[in-house]
Amino acid sequence: MLILDQPEAPSPATATSAGEASPPATQKVEGRDRETVRLKREYEAEVENKVASDYSHIVWAYGIIWALFAIYGVLLWRRSSAQQTDLDELGNQLDKRG
Amino acid sequence: MKYVPHALLALSAVLFPYCVQRVFLATPIESQMGTAQKIFYFHVPLAWICMLFAVVCGIAAGVQLRRRSDRAEALALAAGEMTVLAGLGVLITGPIWGDATWGTPWTGDARQTSTALLWLVFVAYLLVRTYGPANAERLAAALAIFGAINVPIIYYAVKIWKTTHPQTGVVGSLPQDMWNTLWVCLLALLSLAIALVWIRAGQARLAIALDRAWIDAEPEPAPA
Repeated sequence: MLILDQPEAPSPATATSAGEASPPATQKVEGRDRETVRLKREYEAEVENKVASDYSHIVWAYGIIWALFAIYGVLLWRRSSAQQTDLDELGNQLDKRG
Repeated sequence: MKYVPHALLALSAVLFPYCVQRVFLATPIESQMGTAQKIFYFHVPLAWICMLFAVVCGIAAGVQLRRRSDRAEALALAAGEMTVLAGLGVLITGPIWGDATWGTPWTGDARQTSTALLWLVFVAYLLVRTYGPANAERLAAALAIFGAINVPIIYYAVKIWKTTHPQTGVVGSLPQDMWNTLWVCLLALLSLAIALVWIRAGQARLAIALDRAWIDAEPEPAPA
């Protein structure tokens, strides 16, 4: 999670006591300025929106699963038809022989 | 018993639309993986079905080797085909899910590799069983038993080795909504798989009987 608090600016009292030559009491932290925070928020919202609404993976996955089972079902049906033909042919041959 | 596969097919036909309704509309979107996590509801049951029928095929092949039973041979063949079919589903949907969540379709972890190995062994079983020479069904049966031994390796792979797959306890820790959806999807797929195996085993037995009947029907050669 982003920490949205901005680094506190040095208080006037601290700045006065430290003098002009001394470094500031706090330094600006990289990546926490308002513009960066805004950009990160926008990016996170975009990613969150995509993750929560992009159904392309799941449609592909389910489509492939159902296609596999459908193809297998058709193969079983074709095999069953071929066996029925074979059975009829055998019956005819046995009938001819009496 | 004759109408069992039809009843199972009817059950799965009723359950599949309900599964889709549950997966897309009734089950919440997982917070980290998003919509891609919904592949789970068919990927995991398919993996279980693949492993279940691999074991069934191995046991039936063992019975076939010992007793030369036509029924066991037919069941082994049908279960082997279902293992390959479900395994193909797992090996396709898994990388689709992995690509969405891990950023790569294949990490080569122990569970993926052992599942791919199981699938290849059963493809080899079907090839030997279908295109092998006479008596190849005994070699094929040995392959099926070898493949079935791979099943516990797949199951325990996430415990033995470091993998990108979640631990085996993840299913038990699911929220109630996701848990219910998983079991409905499992029931739909399992009833469909059992029905197809039942029908295929019947066809295999009929094929064996037809082969024998054709040999018996051949006119005997005239004496020289």
